[in-house]
Amino acid sequence: MEKKETKFFDQLKNNAYYIKWLKNPFTYVTAAVLLSLFQTITLAVTKEPWGVSGVFAYWGAWVFEAFGGSVDKWYYFASSGAQAVLNDGFINHAGTWRNLGIIIGALTATLLASGFKIKKIKSKKQIIAASLGGLLMGYGARLAFGCNIGALYSGIASLSLSGWVFAIGMFFGAIVGSKLLVKFFM
Amino acid sequence: MKEVILDCLGEACPVPLVKAQNKLKELEVGDVLIVQIDHSCAMKNLPEWARKDGYNVEVEEVDDGEWEVIIEKNK
Repeated sequence: MEKKETKFFDQLKNNAYYIKWLKNPFTYVTAAVLLSLFQTITLAVTKEPWGVSGVFAYWGAWVFEAFGGSVDKWYYFASSGAQAVLNDGFINHAGTWRNLGIIIGALTATLLASGFKIKKIKSKKQIIAASLGGLLMGYGARLAFGCNIGALYSGIASLSLSGWVFAIGMFFGAIVGSKLLVKFFM
Repeated sequence: MKEVILDCLGEACPVPLVKAQNKLKELEVGDVLIVQIDHSCAMKNLPEWARKDGYNVEVEEVDDGEWEVIIEKNK
């Protein structure tokens, strides 16, 4: 029995459709078309443009509330919309399910392509850079009321000028970021 | 004709690409550069850059989520 299974997976590995659909990454164009399609569906179904990082702020608030804290008086969560989201709970939050879908989907995709690997941490620099970068990105995204998805992608897709302003800022930020990367990581 | 191994395991994009570009500059014509990577996006941008620059490139999957990009400095 075991022998047969190995054979099946050995065959699958060389199957043209497996290689085309699951093993090799999609082209940028394919991915772009799929993204456009699904963000339109997201907008139509949830009545809100696609966003990612705003959801994490709610997750933080729910965790904080689970430990007995309250964010009622926080400026960020002061709006009636934000309060309604918090009161409805994460089970009724479309963005939460979407983000979970992204995480599970990404994991599934790497597993199907047999590309899953737990990477080793090479240096302390990586830990510092990842923590600092993550904090700055999260904090910046909340100050800007959106990340590269909510503010840039969905902004431009909704024909909003703010998306283009965000793009200019991100462009120069990326230049500075690349210089720092080459300086500290090469 | 020598073979140089560049260990980029555990490095995220675009570090493997920049490291490979710098390393290849140091090599002589005829040398082979083997870049070890485990970040799937480097599997895309490394061969793309090297092929665009006209080098011979081969990608080998050595393990789950681990690849070797073999670049021959043929010019």
